[in-house]
Order: sequence, then C-alpha cells, then structure tokens
Amino acid sequence: MSGMTTAAAVGALITRTVRGWAVDPAAGREGAAELEIVDGLLRRLTWLEGAAADGITAGGTLIAPGFVDLHAHFREPGNEDAETVATGLAAAAHGGFTTVCLMPNTTPAIDEPSVLAAVTAAAAASGSPVRVLVHGAVTHGRKGETLAALGELADAGAVGFSDDGAPVRSAPILRNALAYAGALGVPIVDHPEDPALTEGAEASEGYVATVLGLRGWPVAGEAGAVARAIAILADVVRDVPGARLHLTHVSTAASLDHVRAGKAAGLPVTCDVTPHHLGFSDEWIAGARRWAWEAMGEDGRARDPWTDGALVAPPFDTSLRVNPPLRSAEDAAACLAALVDGTADAIATDHAPHTEVDKHVEFGWASNGISGIETAIGIVLAAVESGGVPLARAIEALTTGPARVLGVRGERHGVAPGLREGEPADLVVIDRAADWTVSADALCSKGKNTPLLGRELRGVVRLVVAGGRVAYAPD
Amino acid sequence: MTAQADRPDAAPSGSVGWHHRHLLDVDGLTRPDLELVMKTADEMSEILARPIPKVPALRGTSVTILFYEASTRTRVSFEVAAKNLSADVVNIAAASSAVSKGESLVDTVRTIEALGADMLVMRHPASGAPYLAAEVFGGSVLNGGDGWHAHPSQALLDLYTLRSRLPGGSLEGRKVVILGDVLHSRVARSNIWTLTAMGADLWLCGPSTLLRGFEAWAARGAAGRRFTVTSDVRAALRDADVVMALRIQKERMASGLLPSLREYAARYGLTTERLRAARPDVVVMHPGPMNEGVEIAADVAVDPRSVITAQVTNGVAVRMALLYLLSGTKSGEGA
Repeated sequence: MSGMTTAAAVGALITRTVRGWAVDPAAGREGAAELEIVDGLLRRLTWLEGAAADGITAGGTLIAPGFVDLHAHFREPGNEDAETVATGLAAAAHGGFTTVCLMPNTTPAIDEPSVLAAVTAAAAASGSPVRVLVHGAVTHGRKGETLAALGELADAGAVGFSDDGAPVRSAPILRNALAYAGALGVPIVDHPEDPALTEGAEASEGYVATVLGLRGWPVAGEAGAVARAIAILADVVRDVPGARLHLTHVSTAASLDHVRAGKAAGLPVTCDVTPHHLGFSDEWIAGARRWAWEAMGEDGRARDPWTDGALVAPPFDTSLRVNPPLRSAEDAAACLAALVDGTADAIATDHAPHTEVDKHVEFGWASNGISGIETAIGIVLAAVESGGVPLARAIEALTTGPARVLGVRGERHGVAPGLREGEPADLVVIDRAADWTVSADALCSKGKNTPLLGRELRGVVRLVVAGGRVAYAPD
Repeated sequence: MTAQADRPDAAPSGSVGWHHRHLLDVDGLTRPDLELVMKTADEMSEILARPIPKVPALRGTSVTILFYEASTRTRVSFEVAAKNLSADVVNIAAASSAVSKGESLVDTVRTIEALGADMLVMRHPASGAPYLAAEVFGGSVLNGGDGWHAHPSQALLDLYTLRSRLPGGSLEGRKVVILGDVLHSRVARSNIWTLTAMGADLWLCGPSTLLRGFEAWAARGAAGRRFTVTSDVRAALRDADVVMALRIQKERMASGLLPSLREYAARYGLTTERLRAARPDVVVMHPGPMNEGVEIAADVAVDPRSVITAQVTNGVAVRMALLYLLSGTKSGEGA
C-alpha cells in the first residue's frame, strides 16, 4: 500500500491515501482505485485506469467498506473472563469489522434498557470507533416465557431481538414477538433449533458423529425450526406488514431450501451463515483440517477422511464444539452456494469466546462456540481463492448484505457501508498476498478457542477505519 | 487406516514392533499391530495356565485405574491383568474421589501423574475423554471405554476369542453379526474397525432406531472396510459364523427408541430357534453384562456354542498383552 505516511492511534481521525483493488458493493463497482482520506473524510475516490492501474490486482491490496457483523458475543456483562466489550472491539477491528451487533445472552440478559445502556457505555469507554449495536432479548431472561421489554429496548436503540444461544421455543411467543417487533420495525433474529431433537447433542448427526460416538444433532433439528418460523412469519405478515424474520447461523442445505422457498414466496425472511460453517466441516472433529470445499469429492459427496489420509490432528478438539454443530462437507457446500445465489444475505461470525476452563474439558461437556471474528475474513478469502464465491459477492455479504438486514434501524445508527466521497471513511484495507499465523498472542480476543490456532491464513488486515477514525492500524 | 499385508512372523515377542504410546482407539491399529497383540496375548495365556500366573514384567510400574462409570468386569479384568504382571495398582472410582467435588478431568489426571502413575487405564461416559487425558498425561493412557465411542480392549479380546474358536483361526470372509443396540455401543464401534480389518463379512442388525448413522458409515467406508446394516434379523443370521448380542438397556424405552423389552425380545432376542438359521457351529458372544431373556435367551447364553465365559478369561490375557506392549513405549511416539 502506498501513500501511508503516519502510524495512527486508535480513535484518532485519519489522514491517509490508500491505493489498491477497491470493492464497493454499494456502488456495484470494483477495480483499481485510490482513496484520499483527510481528517477522517473520504475526500476523493479515484477509479484508476490504464497505466495508473498498473500493478494493482484483486489479489494484492484489497479495499472494502468496513465489515458489519450481525452476530457476536462479547460476554459483558457477566462473563468478562471470556471477553469484554473492549477486548471484543479490538478483536472486531483486527478482523476488519467496523460495526458489530452484540447478542443479548449476557448475565443478566439484555432484556431491558438498563442492561443495553451498560453495554453501550462500555463501548464508549473502550475508545474504539467500532460501532456497537445491540440485539435485545425476545423474552425475559431469554427463558422463552414472557416478552422482554421490546418497545423500551427499541426506544433504547436495539436493532434486533434474539434469544440466541437458544431458540424461541414456544410457537405462540415467536408469533407474538414477530407481530409486536414488526410493528416496531425491528427484526426477530432467530436461532433456529428444535431443542427436543437436539437434547444432549454433541456433533452433527451423520457419518463422523457415528464413528466418533458423539450424540447426533440432526439436520431436522434446524430445518424443522426454520420451516416453523417461516410458516409463522407468513401468518403474521398478513396482519403486520412490518414483521421481519432473520434466521442466524443457518447451517444445513435443508434449512436453506426453506429460506429459498420463503424468499421466492415474497416473505420478509433473511438469513446469515457463519465463516466456520462455510470453511470447516464435521470431519475436523475427527482430526481433518482441510477446508470444507477440499473435502468434497468429484461425485459431489464428502470424502472419507479415515481412508484418504486427511486426519492430521487429534480428534475431539473442543474448539470445534459449536452450536449449530459443524456439518457435513455437503452442507458446507450448500451454505457457500446459498451465499452465491443470495439465499444467504450475510456472513455473520457468531464470535463466541470462551475461557480455557470452559473449553479444556471433555468434548461433550465443553461450552459451544468458536472465537471467530478475527479469522472470518481469512476463511472467506480462502473460499474466494478456491473459486467458490466471487470476491464482490463475499464482500457484499460482509457489508451491504448485513446492512440491508438491519434496514432503517441500522441506518439510524450510521450503518451505511460504501465508499462514498464526502462521508467519513469507513473501510478496511487487506493485503491479500500476505499470510499471518493464527496464535493466542496474535488474537486480540480473550477467547483463544479456535481450531485455526497454529494455522497460516492468507490475507492480513492492514488498516481499519470506522467513522473516519482509526480502529486498527498496526503499521 | 488401511489393512496392510499380513506379517504373522514379523514381530518377536515383547514390545518390539509396537509404536503406540497410548491405546485410545482401534481405528489407528494396522493389521500387523493386531497380529502383535494376538501373539502377545497367546504368550500371556500360557502364563495364565501356570500354577502361579505371575511374571515380573511390570514390576515397579504403577498403573492407575480411573473409572468414571460403574464397571465390574472390565475394571477387575484390568486389575488382575496388571497384578499378574507385578505392577502396582491404584484403583480410583470417580464417585469416591475429588471428581464428585467437581474437579476437572485435566486436574485429576495431573494429580494422578504427580502421584507417580506410569500408566492410566480409564473409563469415562464422554466420548473422546481419553484423548483429553492423553494430552496432559506423561505416561500411557489405555482407554477402558469412552462414551459410545470406543472400547479397544473389548474388541481385541473379542478378536482373540474368535481366532481361537474359528477353524483355521481366521476371520477372512466369516459372517459376523452384531445384534442389538448398536447406536449406543462402543463395543460395536470398536469391533467394526477390528473385524473389518481382519477381513470379516460384518453385519450390524437391530431395530432401525438403534442403527441410526451406521448406514452412513457403511456407505462411506472404503473398499475392504465395508459392512452391512439391516433390521432384518433373518437375513442377518442366515449362515452366520458368529453372532454377538449387545445389551439392551431399559432407558431406551423411555427415550422412545423401542416400544418395549418384550417386543425387542420377540423380534430380535437371540433364541435357540432363531440361531437355527446360522451355521451349526456358530459362535455366540456377548460383551456383558447380559439381560437374559431380552437380548439373549438363558439357554443360548450357556449353550456349548457360547464363548461368553471364554471372553472374560481371554480379557485378562489380552489386557496383560496391552499393558505389556504399552509399557515399552513410555517415551515413544504418540498414538
């Protein structure tokens, strides 16, 4: 990257000129470009042509709008050993994110405005310019019984309602929440899971779980919940046109088929997929470490890691315990296909940091979750490099895609990804030709629970600017 | 793992040729590994036939037996095996230790090591737990059964028992049927690896609720590792050389996997009449403990064709062999 002049402190207004391969989904354009940032404002964006563009390729320096994460857990209040808002924001910036939406499964849950205010205050105190948005709980204490203070939470700025970590078990509560939140213009962000089908489950039901003797989490445990939620949405939306359903961390081909059908029927349903469900598959629990797309055979079926020499690590690594569980390579391929065809609107990290105490235990007793906000772009770029998804579409799913899910409530918080002259710069600069090694020291998150520890990832984040201010600038 | 060429005479006695520091699973054992265990178990059987069945092979070696699940058969078998080799044995039942106070497995294993254990035999209700123990334990870990995942010593004693009973001592092409609750069975899972490695024509049979996932395994297994999954007990037992019945637990009714024990016994119970479909010299096995009258009729359990008590006796020889082989690998490579 040329034109870099000064190293800058986090939070400072930035003045810098960056050149590289710019991808701007808001303008529907990508190509060689030069961006001149002065005192935090994107003063000039010049699309370079001819000789001026020489040496600038899509595989070199990448410039994109700052990423938007619809789904992250920063554990504050209540579990600050695992993460705080401040450490989570540092991790987000390291991952290229300039907007994060935090899930309300804290202790106490974010089911009333005072808790939401505490989270917002912690964000302000951190000094990070990364935008913090908050999902309020759907029900009191996320217990699934009575509606949380939805109206007050909306007034306090909640951008979505979710009982994430758990589904909204009760169909009547889900129905009422969709209607009530719909009138407020706030989406329900549902974690689709039928708990009766997944009780005690440890890994996705199928070949790998069977061989390893892990209790199966069937595909139907998610697909059934997705179908139910969409059916309820169809019912509610007739009376409440503002009702909106967002299904988070969708992980199976069957679920995505339901979403695809719901969208085709014109229903206001959206969904996201996680980087780990795109890049990893259940064979990682057996000790494989190849990308999910590398685990697919010529016949469109997953390969057998026990016979093709793919098992390179010890089995039962608890950094792979996550909910929904890592799925078959076929399901991972379906997630990637859904990303390409637009069925999946966004890539959301489900960043779920945990302490060593909660993870260095028996596989089935380990807490669910992967610390993933810093490795998300590395996995996504690997998928791009494999040819599985076009670069522009991947960037869209990290920027304008999630912004559309947030809709006007996101805009009210300043979420408007795009490289626009005259506005505060909000962007990420990534060196796609460089590698970094994922390590406990390299991660800003307190959560070191990632199966990528020790692995080289292609794509180094060089600069992150949020709202004109430096969020991450190691150079 | 791919089955390698048979090398019956390659390995001399002792731990020469044995490269696994731990025995956590059987999926990584090659056919020569299996042959070496069998050959060593033969030597141990000779020792057991002596008036005083005791040798000093593991004198000065401390073996800790850590069981987080109730067990008589396996725990005592390991204890007798270790004592026959003159090892010092410490028994820890999880309920009577700090485990019940919430101590983590990692801390427990570190404590056991600090107390001088060289080898750790463990049973645990969570699949994969021995891998966690092996990650922190400086000596050798021997899996005495983990969750639904693996029961290596049981599969090896089953193999040993079959080789002594089948004509020619070979499983090649022999029809072996595992009948019953395959889904929850670590014995079945470990036997899938060892029996297919030795060339058996393996069939898994039971109600379809108790076979879930195994079709996927059978379909994915590569050439030479294939087996057949069926709910048709007649097809499974037809001309079988070996039938291994698995325990049916009462909890399976509560979770809706079976209508009733009566219906199971009527449809899948191993009875004399049902056994007529098998070969006349069929070998009947059961890893124990048995529910007589449910998965196996009382008269079948004591039929001359039953090797159930031989399985118990052979268990000591095979576990002696395993302790002995692993004792020579303390600073060797990982399993």
